[in-house]
Amino acid sequence: MSGRQETPEVSGYARSHVAISAVVGILVAGLSVWWAQGFDIFYESLYRVSPTVEGGGIGADWVFGNTIPSLDFLIALVHAADVLMGAFILVMVFLHWAAFRRLADRMRQPGEERGEAVAADGGEQR
Amino acid sequence: MSNLDHGKFTRVTTLFHSLLGLDVFLLFFTGYAIMFNDELWWLLAVMGGASGVTAIHRITGIGLIALIVFWIVLQIISPTGRGNFSEILPGKDDFDAFVQDVQFMLGRADERHPNARQFAGYKADEVPLLSYIGKGVVFIFSIELTLLAISGLLIWSKTGLAAMFQTKAAAMAFVTFHGLLGVIMLMGVMFHVFEHGFHPAFYPVETKAFIPRSMVPEYHSDEDEEPDTTGIERLSLSPSWRTMSSIFGALTVIGIVSVLIGSIFDEGYPVPRELAIGGGPTSILLTIGINVGILVLGVGLVLSMYGNVLRIRWERQMEEEREGPAATDGGREEPSDD
Repeated sequence: MSGRQETPEVSGYARSHVAISAVVGILVAGLSVWWAQGFDIFYESLYRVSPTVEGGGIGADWVFGNTIPSLDFLIALVHAADVLMGAFILVMVFLHWAAFRRLADRMRQPGEERGEAVAADGGEQR
Repeated sequence: MSNLDHGKFTRVTTLFHSLLGLDVFLLFFTGYAIMFNDELWWLLAVMGGASGVTAIHRITGIGLIALIVFWIVLQIISPTGRGNFSEILPGKDDFDAFVQDVQFMLGRADERHPNARQFAGYKADEVPLLSYIGKGVVFIFSIELTLLAISGLLIWSKTGLAAMFQTKAAAMAFVTFHGLLGVIMLMGVMFHVFEHGFHPAFYPVETKAFIPRSMVPEYHSDEDEEPDTTGIERLSLSPSWRTMSSIFGALTVIGIVSVLIGSIFDEGYPVPRELAIGGGPTSILLTIGINVGILVLGVGLVLSMYGNVLRIRWERQMEEEREGPAATDGGREEPSDD
C-alpha cells in the first residue's frame, strides 16, 4: 500500500437536506409521543361504569340527539320561513280583501235597479 | 249573464283539485290535531284519539303521494301538461300584476292587471291561464308538498330514523320539522279559501275550479268593438256578500295569525327538559284563534263540496238543454236563446 490513502468518490449529503431531515425526525418523534400521551388514562378509571351523561352513561345518546346543531338550524330555518310566509300571506289577504271591496262597489248593489245602464252599453236585453 | 268567464280547468284537473283538496284537508285536520293537541282536543277526540288520528294521517299521506306522483307523470307524458309548463313560469307580468294590485288597493289604478284578474268577463282573452297568485300557489304548494311527503316518509317509522342518527331524540326533530313546514301550507290554504270563496262576482265559490272548461260556453264579443270593461258592473252583488266577506275575512286573518303564533311556541325540538302541558303557552285566546283557523278550513271543505254540487247541477242542466228538442213528443218547445 502506498503512503497516500485514497478516499472513495462518494457523493455526500447536502447540509440543508440533513438539517431538514433532522428537524422532521425530531418533530415527528415529538408529535407521536404527544399524541400517545392521549392514551394515558388513569388506571383507576379503566373499566369503570360512568353513569353520568358526561361519562357517556345512560341518557347520553338522548342528550346528544337533542343537541344536534344541524337539526336545530333546520328548525330555526323553518320557523323563519313560517313567519316570513305568514306575513306575506297576510299581506295577500288584505290586498285581496281591499280589491274585492272595490270590485263589489262597482257591481249592482242588491235591490238596485239600473235597467238603462244595461241597455246603454249595447248589451242585448233579455 | 252568469257565464261570462271562461273556465280554466279541464275535467281531469277539476277532479284532481277536488281529490287533492279533500286529501290535504284531512291531512290538516289530523296533523294539526296532533301538533296543536291542547287547542284542538275535540278534533283529536272526534277522529278517534291518538291512534285514530295517526291512522287517518298515514292513510291520507299515502293518498297524497299517489296524487302527487300521478300529477307529475301526467304533466310529463301528456302534451297538454308539457304545453302548459311555460304558462306556469312567473314572469315580469306577474310582478307588475302584484304592483298593480297594490295600486288598485290604494285607489291609484282603475283595473286589476290581467295577470291578477279572477273575473275576466268580456276581457277573457287577455287573461293568462294562471294569475300571479295561481302561479305562486302552484310553486309554493309543489315545494311544500314535496318536502312534506319526504319528511313524512322519513318519520313514517321513527325507529329507522333513530337508527340512522344513532339516537332517539333526532327523530323528534323531523316530526317538528314536518309540522312546522305544513304551517306555511295551512296559512296559504286559508288565504286560498278566502280568495276563491269571497270574490264578489263569484261568491260563495268560484266555479272555475269545479266546472270543467269543456262545459263552459265561451262569450266572444263582436269583432269590431272591444269592450272597455270586464262587465262586472252588470252583475248584481249578493245581498249577504258584505256581511259574510267581512266576517270571513276577519276569521281568515285571525286563523292565520293564531296558527303562526302557535307554531312559534309549540316547540318540539330540542325536546324540553320539563314536561310542558301541550308544549306551549295555553292561552284561551290562542285556543280560540287556532279553532277559528280550523273553522276557516272547514268552510273551505264545504265550499269545495258545494262546487262539486254546482258542477252536478250544471251537468244536468246542460243535458236537459241538449235533450230538449229531441225529447219533444208533441209538446211545446222552449225557444232557445242562441
